Amino acid sequence: MIEVHDLRKRFGDVIAVDGISFRAKDGEVTALLGPNGAGKTTTLRAIYSLIKPDGGHVSIDGIDVAANPMAAQRLIGALPEARGAYPRLTAREHVHYFARLQGLSARDTEERCEDLVERLGMGEIADRRTEGFSHGERTKVALARALVHGPRNVLLDEPTSGLDVMSTRAIRALVRHLKSEGKCVLLSSHLMHEVSAICDSIVIVAAGRVVARGTPDDLRATTGCESLEDAFVALTANGGATE
Amino acid sequence: MKHFLASLGVVLRKELIDGFRDRRSILSAAVPLAIIPLLLLFSFDALSDELEQARRIKVPVAGAEHAQALIDWLDQQWGVEIEAGISQPLIAVREGEHDFVLVVPEDFGTSFEEARSAELEIVVDSSETGTRLAVSRLRTLIRAYAGQVSDLRLIARGVSPELIRPVTVETIELQSSQERAAVTFMFIPILLLMTAFIGGQQIAIDSTAGERERLSLEPLLLNPVPRLSIIGGKWLAALSFAGASLVMTTIMLMIVLDISPMQRVGIDLDIGLVEFGSMLATVLPLAMFGSALLLSVSTLARSYKEAQTYASFLVLAPMLPMMLSVGSPIEPSQWKFLVPLLGQHILLTDVLEGKNPEPLSLAIASAATVAVAIGFLAVTAHQFRRERIVFGRTS
Repeated sequence: MIEVHDLRKRFGDVIAVDGISFRAKDGEVTALLGPNGAGKTTTLRAIYSLIKPDGGHVSIDGIDVAANPMAAQRLIGALPEARGAYPRLTAREHVHYFARLQGLSARDTEERCEDLVERLGMGEIADRRTEGFSHGERTKVALARALVHGPRNVLLDEPTSGLDVMSTRAIRALVRHLKSEGKCVLLSSHLMHEVSAICDSIVIVAAGRVVARGTPDDLRATTGCESLEDAFVALTANGGATE
Repeated sequence: MKHFLASLGVVLRKELIDGFRDRRSILSAAVPLAIIPLLLLFSFDALSDELEQARRIKVPVAGAEHAQALIDWLDQQWGVEIEAGISQPLIAVREGEHDFVLVVPEDFGTSFEEARSAELEIVVDSSETGTRLAVSRLRTLIRAYAGQVSDLRLIARGVSPELIRPVTVETIELQSSQERAAVTFMFIPILLLMTAFIGGQQIAIDSTAGERERLSLEPLLLNPVPRLSIIGGKWLAALSFAGASLVMTTIMLMIVLDISPMQRVGIDLDIGLVEFGSMLATVLPLAMFGSALLLSVSTLARSYKEAQTYASFLVLAPMLPMMLSVGSPIEPSQWKFLVPLLGQHILLTDVLEGKNPEPLSLAIASAATVAVAIGFLAVTAHQFRRERIVFGRTS
């Protein structure tokens, strides 16, 4: 479970996150939905403790991220916005590297790696160096290394951005699978139709604030809009003046 | 601590694999190896040339007519060319028209005939190294001529020339080439110092500035690993390459020096296993320092390119003590051993001059250099916590 309470962060004069609070429960898929620059990535970075918030706090399964960042990081698997790979290492070597950094034993590493290669359909690319990988292939590598330690909490920053239909479907299947395993999945997106298909709970953010939250149905009801797309536009257009 | 070391090992292993597959890392570790034979070849060539040059001289003479026999004799010597008819020797030399002029005074002939010491003058501006060599060759020739004349005079008076020569000394003109050798072989310390910097340069840049530019730094830092063990692993990887490069360079130097015809050009550079061992022991701490410095600078650099630019300047750092010592040699004093590079420079120069470095000085220099290196690592580990560094300047 991920709990974010009154998170604040500014970069110079720009207020990136202005008091965001929400809770992402286990066994559910929660979406942070908002236009570009709404503060989604900054919020995720604060959760996986690469950014030090100016105010508020974040806890993972009850562990305070600010007080104990490494313990919190062990409970998280994250697909960050940056999905860079080492061009001279194979896909499998990437997964191994991260498994060892997470402290997995050699045998567990092997086992988990095989499992992920299969589940993400990476059989053909597993032993190829990542130089020249397509965006979709790189995303798979990034996902595999993020999930190799079997984290209870999974953070996905724009997981399907730039992917083709097949890869997008694979990601959706993965998210559903994670949910069925009882994991807490938190993903960010700027595409309404994207999240409505797989999310149980949606937190809409704009200009660093939460402007609405609830299930897809709740949101339709509160805004009076028939389509979620319209609801999203209505909620985010005025920069989050209301909640 | 166990966790720290374990993750350090994981990072080290990955960076080494990555480095071995990177042509540029291999290249930067191998560059010093490739240039040694070239450097040696070049310097030996220059030495032979210089020896050749020293034997070929052009002798401008003023007043040649006062000592025609001597001048004719000189003219017949190998490699000597007489240029008679210099009218104003002092002016000619002062204005750089000639580097030196042999002046035969008017009374030379009379003194010579009366068997008194006849005096010659050499007007010289010895600021040019070449001039000194030529003049010294000229002196040797004149001395030889004088020797012949004195022999003849003694024989004419029924005295054996050997009577006045109780001891003879064969002198082989080497002075200039030895001077030159010391300068020539100064490239050995410089080469080793630069190798300490260049060897791990590519890994240092690639694993920091490169890591960020490839967008793999953020994912890496998501792992529950102390920043210091990440930096430490990268540092050890760079250091491994620098160290390997140093060891190979040293071996290569030994082989090349061993097989090269140093005797032929008149050099007896007496450095063997012990000396090379001392040099390695001196330089290895510097490799730690260089790798740490490159890591921290590359971490601060905005981009891979920028890091490369900084690195290309840093690689010149080992030249600094060299440049400082051009005017006046660096006097060893304890505080200087505390300064990375400076201390090693003094120690290496000592070794090359055949002095074994004092263990205390070596210990002080090494400890100080390693301490500075660790300082750089700590600072860099701290940098890895700054958002600007992790995400680049754009976010």
